Amino acid sequence: MPHILSQKIRSWFIATNSAERVWMMASIEFKLRYYENKLGLMWALIKPVSQIVMYYLVFQVLMNQQVENYVIYLFVGLLLWQFFTEATSGTVKILQTKKYLYEYTNMKKIEIYLASMISSAIGLFFNLLIFIFGAIIAGVYPTYHYVFFVLIFTNLFLLSFGVSLILSNLFLLFKDITQIWGIVVGFGFFLSPILYRGDLFSSKLPLLDYLNPIAGIINNTRNILIYSQPPDWSMLMFDLTYSLIIFLIGFVLLKKYSPKASELI
Amino acid sequence: MENPVNSISSPVAIKVSNVNKTFQLSDIKTDTLKGKLFNLFVRGNSRKLKALQNINFNILEGENFGIIGRNGSGKSTLVKIMSGAYIPDEGGEIFRNGSSMLLNLGVGMSHELTARQNIYVSGSALGLKIKDIDNIMGHIIEFAELQDFVDSKIKYFSSGMIQRLSFSIAVHAKADIIFLDEVFAVGDAKFRAKAIDILEKSMIEKRTIIMVSHSLANIEKYCKRALYLKNGEMAFLGDSKTAIAMYNKDND
Repeated sequence: MPHILSQKIRSWFIATNSAERVWMMASIEFKLRYYENKLGLMWALIKPVSQIVMYYLVFQVLMNQQVENYVIYLFVGLLLWQFFTEATSGTVKILQTKKYLYEYTNMKKIEIYLASMISSAIGLFFNLLIFIFGAIIAGVYPTYHYVFFVLIFTNLFLLSFGVSLILSNLFLLFKDITQIWGIVVGFGFFLSPILYRGDLFSSKLPLLDYLNPIAGIINNTRNILIYSQPPDWSMLMFDLTYSLIIFLIGFVLLKKYSPKASELI
Repeated sequence: MENPVNSISSPVAIKVSNVNKTFQLSDIKTDTLKGKLFNLFVRGNSRKLKALQNINFNILEGENFGIIGRNGSGKSTLVKIMSGAYIPDEGGEIFRNGSSMLLNLGVGMSHELTARQNIYVSGSALGLKIKDIDNIMGHIIEFAELQDFVDSKIKYFSSGMIQRLSFSIAVHAKADIIFLDEVFAVGDAKFRAKAIDILEKSMIEKRTIIMVSHSLANIEKYCKRALYLKNGEMAFLGDSKTAIAMYNKDND
């Protein structure tokens, strides 16, 4: 088994040009998203900044929530949540928008997804740099715990990938999945500890910590990036397993429905 | 029906075996969750349309092969199946030897991307390394006569310009198999002449071309063999002159 796997990886990077192609498509998509117009990159900054100002006013000033360093606290939540929604909502229609790529038989459909996911990941990476910069200004300095973020990121990537596989293949059968997902995302924003204190969230709604994998991911990221703590390992293991199952379901759906994509759309 | 074996026995480029294609046509809308729920107990009239029945043939490497038939005879469906965009009904099989590109209006191109980006994506999808694409970029643009529009999005292009671009990519990126679905319907005389010139050369370069066209003159001129499709079935396979003669007789 490891032998087959290593051969697969080898063929991906050396024998074929898949890896190169995925990266190229990801960077083209990233450019389309952010450099489309002159305001593009500015807009990418204005959006989170205005959100932070708004939430800060409501939750810290008006409701007096008393979270230390609320700005960078918010930033972590918004950053992860934005990646998740962008990666999932942005790919619901991927089998429709990228239909033009089906005509190439030596290109696998999963590459199309991967490119889009990576393009969102580049966005997350840029935001993360801004975060680190902002955190230093606020007096929170990077520690070796930041290394653990690789695990959390892998977890989030896998989860978003899985959800996007599921949604986009369901889209082939139900075109209104776009609207339905919009509602789910709307609920999800308030059912994740983005705006309010994670400990309150966990004690009042303990079930949601487990139902909503994003909750654990956000709490753990804060442990790592703000509180200089290792992640809550049992939570991390739970979320990883959760994400892996979601991904596998998505993968099965992809195998089952995507070959018919160009007929169903 | 057996294939006439060519005098030179080249390897097979495409093998089509037992291909059937059935489309399910339904008069109630069930492609939304809402529609599914509301129509849970409604039995709509759904009927099956057999677009292709029992298709079997081989196309050899380096062959120019024509497909003719009336509108709705299944030509485009067959080409889509051969190119891998559609999958045949269970039991049918397609074997393709090499990379392929389907040229139809705008197929294989993103209208949101520029000509240059499209060339990179298509070239890479056809199996080229990025540095190889860098090398042929100039030739592709020149052949397609799009020097002034390299970095414009192709949604602003005319249909003829898009057609020229995709044809140029397929030719320069050396797709082993090129499907031309009514390609010569658009494009001006000058480009058509260039394209035909390429077609003639490709016979030497061992590349396979499958041509779908209503222009019987082109089929007769450039394809030795042709398939005549009639109501989704193979009415004739073989010499293109005979195929065209049969087609003309049927439609008189």
